[in-house]
Amino acid sequence: MTMEEMKNEAETNSMVSMTLYAVMYPVFNELERVNLSAAQTLRAAFIKAEKENPGLTQDIIVKILEKKNVEVNFTESLLRMASDDVEEYLIDRPEPEFQDLNEKARALKHILSKIPDEINDRVRFLQTIKDIASAIKELLDTVNIVFKKYQYQNRRALEHQKKEFVKYSKSFSDTLKTYFKDGKAINVFISANRLIHQTNLILQTFKTVA
Amino acid sequence: MEAEPGIVSPFKRVFLKGEKGRDKKSQEKLTERRALHTVPLSLPDHRVDPDILLNDYIEKEVKYLGQLTSVPGYLNPSSRTEVLQLIDNARKLHQIAGQLTAELDALVSLSAYNVKLVWRDGEDIILRVPIHDIAAASYIRDDALHLVVLKTAQEPGASPSPSGGAEGSKSPTLSALTEPGAVLLELCSLLVLAVENKAAAEELCMLLSQVFQIVYTESTIDFLDRAIFDGASTPTRHLSLYSDDSSSKVALVPSEGDLSFPGSLDGGGNSPSSCSSTPASPQIKTVSEGELSTTAAELLQDYMTTLRTKLSSQEIQQFAMLLHEYRNGSSIHEFCINLRQLYGDSRKFLLLGLRPFIPEKDSQHFENFLETIGVKDGRGIITDSFGRYRRAVSSASGSTTNGNAAGEESEEQRAPSEGDEWDRMISDISNDIEALGCSMDQDSS
Repeated sequence: MTMEEMKNEAETNSMVSMTLYAVMYPVFNELERVNLSAAQTLRAAFIKAEKENPGLTQDIIVKILEKKNVEVNFTESLLRMASDDVEEYLIDRPEPEFQDLNEKARALKHILSKIPDEINDRVRFLQTIKDIASAIKELLDTVNIVFKKYQYQNRRALEHQKKEFVKYSKSFSDTLKTYFKDGKAINVFISANRLIHQTNLILQTFKTVA
Repeated sequence: MEAEPGIVSPFKRVFLKGEKGRDKKSQEKLTERRALHTVPLSLPDHRVDPDILLNDYIEKEVKYLGQLTSVPGYLNPSSRTEVLQLIDNARKLHQIAGQLTAELDALVSLSAYNVKLVWRDGEDIILRVPIHDIAAASYIRDDALHLVVLKTAQEPGASPSPSGGAEGSKSPTLSALTEPGAVLLELCSLLVLAVENKAAAEELCMLLSQVFQIVYTESTIDFLDRAIFDGASTPTRHLSLYSDDSSSKVALVPSEGDLSFPGSLDGGGNSPSSCSSTPASPQIKTVSEGELSTTAAELLQDYMTTLRTKLSSQEIQQFAMLLHEYRNGSSIHEFCINLRQLYGDSRKFLLLGLRPFIPEKDSQHFENFLETIGVKDGRGIITDSFGRYRRAVSSASGSTTNGNAAGEESEEQRAPSEGDEWDRMISDISNDIEALGCSMDQDSS
């Protein structure tokens, strides 16, 4: 895959598509136990539909919730669900560096998904932020180790993804500063979701290029 | 001044003179005292706008009973018994005032930076304690006394024993080592204040709690920023001048849109006179050196992005000016000192990001300077990681060595021509930083 294609795919896989893998993939996994064929058909259909119409899955979910009069904060719920591993994004190479990358990504997503539980207790939330800081750094360190050790033809795509991740990390930090002034937690949830999505994209990029 | 009283009976003059005189003086003092610099606090938790603590201050009236020094650091500030025992002993030794008199009247001035104690009359300063030196604040009610006790770092030079004096003066928390083999004991101080009632004590404690929260929040966000900066700054490739991808071209400066600031740009008319004219939009420079230029470009972009989030527009211009002066002959020493002053204590870690831009001839001085201001390795995970990046291009495979050993382990393995090429690249990058500072002047004008 060329860099251009990868960039386009990354842009297409914007955060709105997060609902597909964070909410629907676990549903499909459950459905596979009941009816494998139906589950696989549905999965393929949703993937195709989402690719053509980014955000479609989220719209469907929101409408279902409205129809059922389920009052839930969608963004917060998405964040809580987003820490689960997405098999499509896990790097399946056996080398320790890649397994470490999976592990560090998992750790970061996990701690980010805990934000809704911690945000109302200032002391605990500050500790969570420190844990997030350490997790971000460890993930970036691991990315750097992989860069150093392996020479890739298409390393620009990897570097681009790393830069995107750094950009969204900084955006998350800025969002926190604003939160401590205005108290609007929803923006923190949105920013955390974006960061989780970028974490998944890093894994996806390495999986594709490596 | 009030008029002298009329004729008074000699008996009254003698008997009542002292008391009346004292009452009168106290009354005069009370009426002469200025109003406190304070704001109404929201009940029930006495919340105050954080901006007031960050950009202003709040005063409260207290009585200053004294300060106990060389208190064992393991003192539990929540233990009423322990704290009162210390205070009682200090009273017996006359280290703490026994009676609450008007002479003990003081003002505590509270902000996000320090707690300042001054006498109520005359406002001579008693002491100032930076917030980061305060470990705990306790409220103890002892019969009619309402005490607020601050556990703080031991003041430098207040070491209790002659043998520990040297250590004590170096660090506020180092203890005295009284004899060889003795266990090091961390010491602290107790600042003992008395307030009028329980409400006043709770108010003071809540204000301190808010200050701690502000400071802790700020430092936590700083920690996050440093973690991101560190992870983003560490190089992702072997530093080599030659690469298979030698035909790549790369922009060395951010796009124009990235230059915008949330606030207004000031200092539009104060561009450095030595700054050469540059176009309003940043220079886009293409190079064909391949790997090295891309790394340098990314380092520059990362560093400028960080500076934009950490410095005001005026400060960025100052940074550009300092860089320009350095590039035009000012010494590395001056450059370091001025930058340290510009960044201040809370942002001194930004100096680490300058490593790639310091020429070889000055790198040793720069590294030593970093060490003296405490941003080099061994001080925590962030600086350890900063130390992993080595400025030297030489160690293509060894760029993960600890920065502490950088001076010892580094060996120049590249040919002189490669070093010249590196310096030329750094010179180009530094020019771009200066251009960024100048172009901001043009944007704001």
